[in-house]
Amino acid sequence: MEGLHIEVGELPPACESLRREVRAFIAEHRERFTCSVRAESWAGRDPEFTRLMAEKGWIGMTWPRKYGGQERTMLERYVVLEELLAVGAPMGFHWSAERQMGPLLMRYAPDTLAPRIVPRITRGETSFCIGMSEPDSGSDLASIRSKAVKVDGGWRISGRKVWTSGAHHAEYMVALVRTREKTEDRHAGMTQILIEMNRPGVTVRPLLSQMGKHIFNEVILDDVVVPDENLIGIEGEGWKQVTNELKYERSGPERFLSSTALLTEMIGAADAGDGRQVEAIGRVIANYAALRQMSQGIALMMSRGEDPALAASIVKDSGAVMEQSLPNIAHELFGEHIGTGSELEQVMDYLTAASPSFSLRGGTREILRGIIARGLGLR
Amino acid sequence: MSIEMIEDSVKRLFAREVDKALIERVEQGEFASQLWDRIVESGFHRILSAESHGGIEADWETAYPVFHQLGYQQAPVPLAETIIANFILSAAGHGVDTDKPLAILDETAASGLALSHDDASGFRLNGEARSGKWVRWSSHALFHVPASGFVLARMDAPGVTLSQGKDISGMPADDIRFQDTPAERVFANPFPDLQQPMRTLGAAAKSAMMVGALEFALEQSVQYAKDRVQFGRPIGKNQAIQQQLAVLAGQAVTARSAAYVAARDMPHLGSLASPSAEFSVAAAKVCAGEAVRQGTSIAHQVHGAIGFTYEHSLNFATRRLWTWRGEFGNAAWWAERLGRAFVTAGADRFWENLADRTLPTA
Repeated sequence: MEGLHIEVGELPPACESLRREVRAFIAEHRERFTCSVRAESWAGRDPEFTRLMAEKGWIGMTWPRKYGGQERTMLERYVVLEELLAVGAPMGFHWSAERQMGPLLMRYAPDTLAPRIVPRITRGETSFCIGMSEPDSGSDLASIRSKAVKVDGGWRISGRKVWTSGAHHAEYMVALVRTREKTEDRHAGMTQILIEMNRPGVTVRPLLSQMGKHIFNEVILDDVVVPDENLIGIEGEGWKQVTNELKYERSGPERFLSSTALLTEMIGAADAGDGRQVEAIGRVIANYAALRQMSQGIALMMSRGEDPALAASIVKDSGAVMEQSLPNIAHELFGEHIGTGSELEQVMDYLTAASPSFSLRGGTREILRGIIARGLGLR
Repeated sequence: MSIEMIEDSVKRLFAREVDKALIERVEQGEFASQLWDRIVESGFHRILSAESHGGIEADWETAYPVFHQLGYQQAPVPLAETIIANFILSAAGHGVDTDKPLAILDETAASGLALSHDDASGFRLNGEARSGKWVRWSSHALFHVPASGFVLARMDAPGVTLSQGKDISGMPADDIRFQDTPAERVFANPFPDLQQPMRTLGAAAKSAMMVGALEFALEQSVQYAKDRVQFGRPIGKNQAIQQQLAVLAGQAVTARSAAYVAARDMPHLGSLASPSAEFSVAAAKVCAGEAVRQGTSIAHQVHGAIGFTYEHSLNFATRRLWTWRGEFGNAAWWAERLGRAFVTAGADRFWENLADRTLPTA
């Protein structure tokens, strides 16, 4: 069916020499990837590791040189990411800046904010958070109430954002706010705006996750004033800009590799003579193989200028289903007879509690499947 | 021939020759001889064979649409089996002097066969092979007996008896008994990277056929959800239905990607080496099997009672899917093989082998 097609293919040879370089880098820093780091995968933050990656030129590596990038290809970036994700490297400090915020600033603020901020992203010096959800707005983003009012020389912002990952470490937030009242067109009148987190009126309060970890936050914006140049792109066009930005976050290798630490622990713990264990692990590996080819195929298609948006949604949905299956499989195979405090147990416990978020973050499973159903012509 | 030409030509051939009435007649025990004759004219039964053996000498990727369309249009003929038999013979340097269907039985099916040899009578077959698809219509059957290699036997040779049966899709499935049957030809496995060549080649073909049938079931289900009105609107307007069909679409896309990669990784006459074939086929058959489990259930649920009738076209796809998922190793068998190889190799080798698409050997 139209739009569902993923053209699978091979990465160009240049990618394979880069792969060897990444593996050498990983081997050099292997002691950093302790089991608790691996369990957190790309949600884990380590500013030092981010700077090591920056020294290799692997943050914003596809971006123009004038913004500090290396002008490498999307496919080379894909290889660097998948190799690092496979070992659970902690890329959280720069993750949202690299995946979404840098490209956003270069596209919509190329002469103002981008020259000042984007080179600092590539040097691993700065971290971003993304202010989308609010207490009364989750999947229904058009219902946000945070607003920005025009003042002399800038904008005054007030409202509350929740589930804001990394706000307590971030230097900047890109917030989605209303600059006009809601009209018939629910998605009109929203705007993306850059907020320096040290501005007066910004308060960050921790929201502990069920793992007892401080990952996300509530951010209160109490008459925060920012200058005109902090408005990103076009006033009132924020929804279009956001949906465009989200397209790039649906099919990357992070969409199926988040539980890899648990798979490798299971492979290490399994008995090759135990048919039940090897079959269960084999099913997961088969899914890994397929999802990797799908994710890579979409990267290849995007590098040719195609826009496989529907197929990308499928990768994210199927990837999360698989990532979430792993803690249950581990529980059934090993739950009763692993040593307390063993690495398998630590990783399993962490991912058991963490994995429900995999089908919530960046858009719920139900919203995603609604997008797929629209692609099938059902709505 | 390009892949587009092959796809176009096989689509048109099946669209012209295959309809529900034909499938029903085959389920009643007929052979689709007119369809078979058209296939022979097209040369698709030798699409993978060497030109010097009357073949098209395509690689598996180019031939993929043939397998896919066999599933999508549910053509009731042993084309996949015949292509594979001809391919194996051709790869080993042997021409075939018949255009009749050829049956293939994999290593598991052949595990009850014994091949003996003496100078006076040559190679002789004894024992039983279970559930050989289409054997009664085939001039020969080709087996792989791991200790001895490939064995080709004529079905009209002395000592061959068939016990005829049907699979769940109504297609012929026959047990073969050999009693001192002379083997027509015995030859070494020409594929250096395939430990179980018949199972691997067969599973690659069946995975692609399953994807075709799954896509047919998906399209039928989406169309039915748009057309069928209940409570004053098409049932596809309900989120409960939409979410189910999104899952079916996801399963079909996953299975397709895996089956296509497997086709790319198969050996062909240009290169009999195929270091990734067993890994990719394992992934393809597991993903296709899982897609059948969830996908057929969703397709039937969306269709309601009408899809459960013999009259409706859906069951001609779903019953085939339930048959094919068990042929040449089911998902559990391939998952076990994949899992055991990776567990034996150890956690440190996991990513490297996955990225290289390699089934590690002990």
